[in-house]
Amino acid sequence: MTVHSQGAVTAPQDAPPKSAGGQQTPPMTKGAGPSAPRRGRKPLPAGWLPYLLIGPAVLSLATLLLYPLIKNVILSFQKVDKIEFIQRKAPFNGVENYTQLLGDAHFWTVVVRTFAFTAANVALIMLIGSLVGILLNRLGKWMRLVLSMALVMAWAMPIVASVTVFQWLFDEQFGVMNWVMRTLGFTGYEQHNWFESGFSTLVIVTVLVVWGSVPFVALNMYAGLTTVSGELYEAARMDGANGWQTFWQVVFPNLKPFFTVTTFLEVIWVFKAFTQVYAMNRGGPDRASETLPVFAFVEGQSQGHYALAAAISVLTIVMLVIVMSFYFRLILKQEEEQ
Amino acid sequence: MKRKLIAAVGVAGMVIGLAACGGNDGDDKGKTDAGGAKEITVWVMDGSAPKAWIDAVNAEFSAKHPGVTVKVEEQQWKGIQEKVTTALSENTPPDVLELGNTQTAGYAVTGGLADLTKDKAKLGADAWQKSMLASAEYDGKLYSAPWYAANRVVVYDKKAYAKAGVTPPTTRDEWIAGLEKLKAADPASQPIYLPGQSWYVLAGFIWDEGGDLAVKDGGKWKGGLGTPQAASAMEFYKKLQSYSTAPKDKDEATPQQSTDVVPKGGVSSWIGLGWEAGGAEKALKDAGKEADFGYFPIPGKTADKPGTVFLGGSNLAVAERSKNKELAKEWLALAAGKDQMTKYAAETKGALLPNQAGANFTPAAGSFAEAMGKGGVNGRITPVTPGWANVETEPNPLKEFMTKVLKGEDAAKAGADADKEIANRINK
Repeated sequence: MTVHSQGAVTAPQDAPPKSAGGQQTPPMTKGAGPSAPRRGRKPLPAGWLPYLLIGPAVLSLATLLLYPLIKNVILSFQKVDKIEFIQRKAPFNGVENYTQLLGDAHFWTVVVRTFAFTAANVALIMLIGSLVGILLNRLGKWMRLVLSMALVMAWAMPIVASVTVFQWLFDEQFGVMNWVMRTLGFTGYEQHNWFESGFSTLVIVTVLVVWGSVPFVALNMYAGLTTVSGELYEAARMDGANGWQTFWQVVFPNLKPFFTVTTFLEVIWVFKAFTQVYAMNRGGPDRASETLPVFAFVEGQSQGHYALAAAISVLTIVMLVIVMSFYFRLILKQEEEQ
Repeated sequence: MKRKLIAAVGVAGMVIGLAACGGNDGDDKGKTDAGGAKEITVWVMDGSAPKAWIDAVNAEFSAKHPGVTVKVEEQQWKGIQEKVTTALSENTPPDVLELGNTQTAGYAVTGGLADLTKDKAKLGADAWQKSMLASAEYDGKLYSAPWYAANRVVVYDKKAYAKAGVTPPTTRDEWIAGLEKLKAADPASQPIYLPGQSWYVLAGFIWDEGGDLAVKDGGKWKGGLGTPQAASAMEFYKKLQSYSTAPKDKDEATPQQSTDVVPKGGVSSWIGLGWEAGGAEKALKDAGKEADFGYFPIPGKTADKPGTVFLGGSNLAVAERSKNKELAKEWLALAAGKDQMTKYAAETKGALLPNQAGANFTPAAGSFAEAMGKGGVNGRITPVTPGWANVETEPNPLKEFMTKVLKGEDAAKAGADADKEIANRINK
């Protein structure tokens, strides 16, 4: 229960500066406090210090995130198409954008597609990532180094560059995948179009996203596994547990927080994955591989319905917040259990 | 502590995640005139302005206006509308910009283009071809100067045609019969390279049938793809496309047919513009091969007149927010004036038709320009209405329609779907 005891320690640590600050105010105890810094200048009231330290972070978050977010929400209630955009007008439009979206069958198709895409990707990423993580833990020093380096390189690969490589791999006329399939003796791969439908396009995007995200899960999993003490494995072995049982009885409970946080991080990342989906086939063919962020971009940038795109992104945020609320409930429950 | 840390990481991750959903602000390009020296920026499209010609125009301009330099920026057609829209909304847009003739009305209505009606005399508007002027005007006002027009012809490999014993056809039936012969003579080559989404080509076929891409019905526009005319046009397109192994879900620019496909060989003919033919010739030369192209107009249903073609072209406009509007107009008057247009026509060997008859270049026999001139008599343009530009933005319903039908969907059904989208976009 290291979690609890360490958490308890932090509370008293927070306390001293406050009491020290209180001691500073009466002049007679000047310099008496053991924790008071001895400097030439009059020290700032220590009560400010935490705020001062957190200030830059809050300020930059507010300018870079909060301000655009508020602007975006306002925009979603305006009418801004190509004409208004160039004339720099933004008449208020009420909830017109929202009613238009919620009554649009295409929007709901995209929502369902986004959730299915996210679920499939996160499941694959967690499964493969965990397996590779366990493999890393079992490997010898050199092989582990080789595998870790391979993982880090895949993780570090810029997205657009990797999408371009994937596009060429699966190209209809010059792609290596069609050549591989032909060489393996499959028929019908003379000019097979891998981006034939929205589904097939998203399958290729899934391969790309999983390939790009597995390293993060695997390396974290490996880091987590090193904290599981060897004695626990030994005890499990003594009790006659097999590999499967060891994982579920020993590793999983110990790494539960890791699984929770990684899964939710992956949910966020996949849900908002834009570059991979858009760069692969611009949401095509016939808009059939659009996920929510791509839908917003196509409506906003390509079609010039800027305010409608803002409404889409607001709805996307609302959906993510709902999904994330499960995560926070989980965290809060765990805190309470302590 | 570990859990708290994990929770904190989660929150941070979420915040970063949400941040990426945020808005899309165009960045202002800071363009300051240091020390009084001025610079005007001109956007031209890929393939529109031969370097020698535009350098000469700029040299003449700078000589007339000491201290003013001209910066030419070449743009790609793909995604150009988004780029132009963003540029026109900024404080420092390009001063002069080239706009496709099908897109000009769409920008005229936004107020992003300077009204040039009062500058007609300076620009020499009286000499302009009336047919080209139509797309440059909107609501009785002039928003751009016509620059050039062009239409597509069939470019063929003379050797491949000679080997198969095929001569340039004058009717659709002859065309197909020739392709059949080419296929028999050399099964490894494509008799014609025709990607599935070459919608300008399809537009010609639809006009041949007496249909149109969209028609005004009462006060509203409606799409014309769900009609029997469009279905028979598409049927012919499909037949033609069956002689090609080009992708059914790509247009002629992905991959670029002139420079990425044709030079690789194995293509006996293709449909393209003058600058594409030039690009292919150059690419072949760079690869150490020699182009031996012949050209013929797109055949019509009967021999007495060639097939209807889309009369593509471009206009030159001045941005309303340009900081140097007067200079921009001066440049425009110079570039679109008779003197420079004559040089332009000569430089492009007539493959791009200049904005005035007086500047015409007499094409050499057997040249691209000659075939283009023959085919161009039957030229038409897309509906002149501000909403038409919205139809051409990606994802383009015309292209999706073509891909669907080529993959076997019923043309009437796919056409009805596309019409709904087209009407939606034009009337918006």
